[in-house]
Amino acid sequence: MRTLGIIAACLLCATLALPSRAQTSSSSDSSEYLIKAGFIYNFAKLTEWPASAFPAPDSPIVIGILGSDPFEGTLEQVLQGKTANGRGFVVKHLKWGSELKDCNILFVSASETPHLDQILHLVKGMTILTIGDTPNFALRGGMINFILEDGKIHFEANVEAAKQADINISSRLLSLARIVPHTVSDASKAP
Amino acid sequence: MKLQNLSIKGKLMLITMLTSTVALVLFSASFLLYDLISFRHFLSEDLATQAEIIGYNSAAAMAFKDEAAATVTLTALKAKEDVTAAVLYGRDEKLFARYVRANVAQPSLPSVPPLEGIRFKGSYLEVVQPVSLNGENLGTLFLQSDMSQWNSRAKRYATFLLMFMVASDLLALLIASKLQTLISRPILRLEDTMHVVSAQKNYEVRALKFYDDEIGRLIDGFNTMLSEIQQGDSALQAANDALKTQTQELEGEIIQRKRAQEESLAAKRTAENASRAKSSFLANMSHELRTPLNAIIGYSEMIEEEIQDTGQFRNVQDVKKIQSAGKHLLSLINDVLDLSKIEAGKMGLHLETFDVAQMVQEMVATFQPTVAKNSNTLEVSLAEDLGLMRADVTKVRQILFNLLSNACKFTSHGTVSIDVARTETSDRQWIRFRVRDTGIGISPEQQTNLFEEFAQADVSIARKFGGTGLGLAISHRFAQLMGGHFSAESELGKGSIFTVHLPTTVSTEAAEAAKSKENSDPSAAAPQPQSQAETILVIDDDPAVRDLMSRFLVKSGFHVVVAADGEEGFRLAKRIRPRIITLDVVMPGIDGWGVLRRLKADPELAGIPVIMVTIVDNEVKGVSLGSSSYVMKPVDRALLTDLIERHRGARSLNLKPVPIGVRRSSEDDPRKP
Repeated sequence: MRTLGIIAACLLCATLALPSRAQTSSSSDSSEYLIKAGFIYNFAKLTEWPASAFPAPDSPIVIGILGSDPFEGTLEQVLQGKTANGRGFVVKHLKWGSELKDCNILFVSASETPHLDQILHLVKGMTILTIGDTPNFALRGGMINFILEDGKIHFEANVEAAKQADINISSRLLSLARIVPHTVSDASKAP
Repeated sequence: MKLQNLSIKGKLMLITMLTSTVALVLFSASFLLYDLISFRHFLSEDLATQAEIIGYNSAAAMAFKDEAAATVTLTALKAKEDVTAAVLYGRDEKLFARYVRANVAQPSLPSVPPLEGIRFKGSYLEVVQPVSLNGENLGTLFLQSDMSQWNSRAKRYATFLLMFMVASDLLALLIASKLQTLISRPILRLEDTMHVVSAQKNYEVRALKFYDDEIGRLIDGFNTMLSEIQQGDSALQAANDALKTQTQELEGEIIQRKRAQEESLAAKRTAENASRAKSSFLANMSHELRTPLNAIIGYSEMIEEEIQDTGQFRNVQDVKKIQSAGKHLLSLINDVLDLSKIEAGKMGLHLETFDVAQMVQEMVATFQPTVAKNSNTLEVSLAEDLGLMRADVTKVRQILFNLLSNACKFTSHGTVSIDVARTETSDRQWIRFRVRDTGIGISPEQQTNLFEEFAQADVSIARKFGGTGLGLAISHRFAQLMGGHFSAESELGKGSIFTVHLPTTVSTEAAEAAKSKENSDPSAAAPQPQSQAETILVIDDDPAVRDLMSRFLVKSGFHVVVAADGEEGFRLAKRIRPRIITLDVVMPGIDGWGVLRRLKADPELAGIPVIMVTIVDNEVKGVSLGSSSYVMKPVDRALLTDLIERHRGARSLNLKPVPIGVRRSSEDDPRKP
C-alpha cells in the first residue's frame, strides 16, 4: 500500500508539473481522472456560492461523489491542503438515496446514469453545483459536464441551471465551457 | 563676412534671433523631454494594466490548460497596436500560448519567462508578471511593446514644436526688425551726419537726436565736438588769414630790404668804383707828377754840377732853389700817397732783422747837415743792449726821420736829442725811441689833434717852417701798423718829447708771406771798396731817366749801356754780360717783372745783380723774384752809388737783399702785373 501511495504521489506531481503532457496523453483512467480532479478543484475556485450555503464563513466546501468513485482516491489527494476562497475541501462518498443537502458540489458518477433525472430533480432548489461525467448531463439539467473532444478533456455548462440554483459560475469559467441551452426538466427525459 | 563686421542692424537682429531661438529650443526640448518621459511612464503603466487584464483573463484558461482559449485571450491584444508580442508561460516555464503582432516578422521572444517587472529593453517596453488564480500561481505573462505610440507621439510633438519654433522665430524676426530701428536708426543717422562732416568738411551740420538714451547722449557729445571743431576751425582760419597778412607784410619787407640791399650794393659798387677811380687817379697822378719831377730834379742837379764845373757860382743858388722846391714837392706827393695808401689799408710791411744801433747811427749821420742848419746840437744816446730788431726798417727810418726833422725844424739854437732803449712789459719786449727838443713846443689844444692829417700847430707855421704836416700822422700810422704806439709831451715854448714804442719783433700776416725770402744779415751792408770801371746795363723806357742814369753813372766811373725796353735789355744782357743791371718795371712790351723772371731763369745771367729802379712800390715782389735791391724813383744818387758799390763784389755770391735807406714813395699802380 505504501509503495502504491508513493507511486500515486509521483504520478500526481508529474501531472501537475506537466499539464500539457497530461492533456495530450491517452485517456487512461487514472490520468483522466487525475485531470478531472484538478478540473473540479478549478471549478470550485471559479464558482461562488451564496453565504447561506455554508453553515459558517470558514466551513469547507463539501464535495459529494455519488455512485462508484472513478477517482479512486486521487480527488482527495488533489485537494489535500488546498483552499478555494478561503475554504478547505471535504470529499464524501455517497450512494443513491443518501442525504445530499450538505453537499456544495455533487459529482454524479457515470454509474448513476439510470436515475440521473431523479437525482437532478432531487437537487433542484438546493445550492449544489452539479458535475456530471455523462453525455447530455448538462442538457438534462446538470450544471457542468465533462466531455471529451479530440482526445482532450473539456466541459460544458448549463448556465441557466446554475442560475436557478443561485450559484454564480465565473464568466472566466464559462468562457472556457461549451454552453448548453437550458431545457425543461421533462424534456430531459426524452432521450 | 565676419560676424564682428556685421551692421548694427544685423547684430541686433542676430542677437534677438539667437536669444529667442535658444530660449525656444531649450523650452521645447525640456517640454518634449518632460512629456515623453511622463508619456513613457504612462505607457509602462498602461502596459502593466494591460498585462493585469490579460493575466486575469487568461488565468482560467491556464488553469484548465486550455491553450486555444489562452491564445484567443492573447489575440485580444490585436487592438493594442503597440503590443508586438504576448507570451504565456506555464508553471513549468514552458511556452503555453503566444501572440505576435501580424506585421512583426521575426519576433525575439524569450524561451523562458524573464524576471518579473516592467523594463525598457532597447526600443521595447516589456512587462513580465505572474498569472494566478485565487492566489495560486499558474504561470507567467510576458508582454512586449514597441512603443509605437510613444514614437509617433514624439514625432508629432517634435513636428509641432518645430513648427511652433519656426512660427515663433518668424514672429520674433518681425518684432526684432521693427524694434531694432530704435537703436540702429539714430546710429545710422549719426553715421550719415559724420560722413557729411568728414566728406564735405562741413562743420555746420548737426546730428539729429531721437531719444534721450545713451545714443542720444553720444549724439549730444558729437554735436558739442562739432561746434568745438567749428570754433577751432574758424579760429584757425582767422589765424591763417592773419598769418597770410603777416606773410604778405613780411614779403613786402623782404622786397624792401632786398631793394635796399641792392641799393646799398649798388652804392658799394659805386663807392668801390669811385675808390678804384681815386686809386687809379692817384697812381696816375703820382706817376705823371713824378715823371716831370724826375726830370726837374735830375737835370737841375746836372746843371748845378756843370755850373760848378764852369764856375758860374751866381747861378748855383737858383738851381739849388729849383732842386729844393722839386724835392719838397716830391716829398709832399709821397706823403699824400703814403697816407692814402694807409687809409686804403694797402700799406704792407716788409719785415727784416737789423741792428738797431747801426740803423740809428746811419740815420744820425745823414742828419748832421739838417741839425746844423738851425744851429742845433744833436745828442745821441744808445743803450748797449739794443741788439737786433725785426721790423720794417724803412718805416722805422721814416718815423725817426720825421721826428728828427720836426725837432730840427722847430728848434733853433737848441738841442735835439735822441735816445733809444730796450723796455719790457709783461707780455713783450719793446724798443723805445725818444726824440727830445728844446723848440717852440705845442700847446695842449694842438696836442689833441697832433696826429691828425694836415694839422700843423698853426697855419702860419707852415708858412714859416714849411712841411706838409703829414709827417706825424704818417709816423703815427706806421707805428700802429707795426703794433707799436706813439706819445707826445710838450710845453709851449719849452720843447717837446716824442716817444715811440715798437715791438722788438713785429709780426703781421702780410709780413709772413715774404719772411722766408728774407735773410737779414747786417754784415752784408758792409761797404765794398770801389773797383775799376765796369759795364752797367740800364733798362728803362723813359729816355730822360736813361740819359740821367747814364750821365750820372759814367761820372761815377762806370761803362753804361742803355736799353729802351725789356726785350732789348734782355738781348743786351745776354750779349754784354753786364756787371750790374738797373731795371724799370713799368715799360711797354715785357715789363720789368717779366725781364727779371727771364734774367733769373737764364743760368748764365742769373748771377748778375739786378737793382730795380722804379716808381712801383712793390719791393716784396721784386725781392721774391730775385732782385738784389729796390730803389724808388726819383733816384737818390748817393743811395744808388752806394748800392752799386756793394753789388760789385757780390757777383758770385748768393743774392742777398740789402737794407736800403731811402725816402720811399708809395704808389698803387693798377697797371702793374
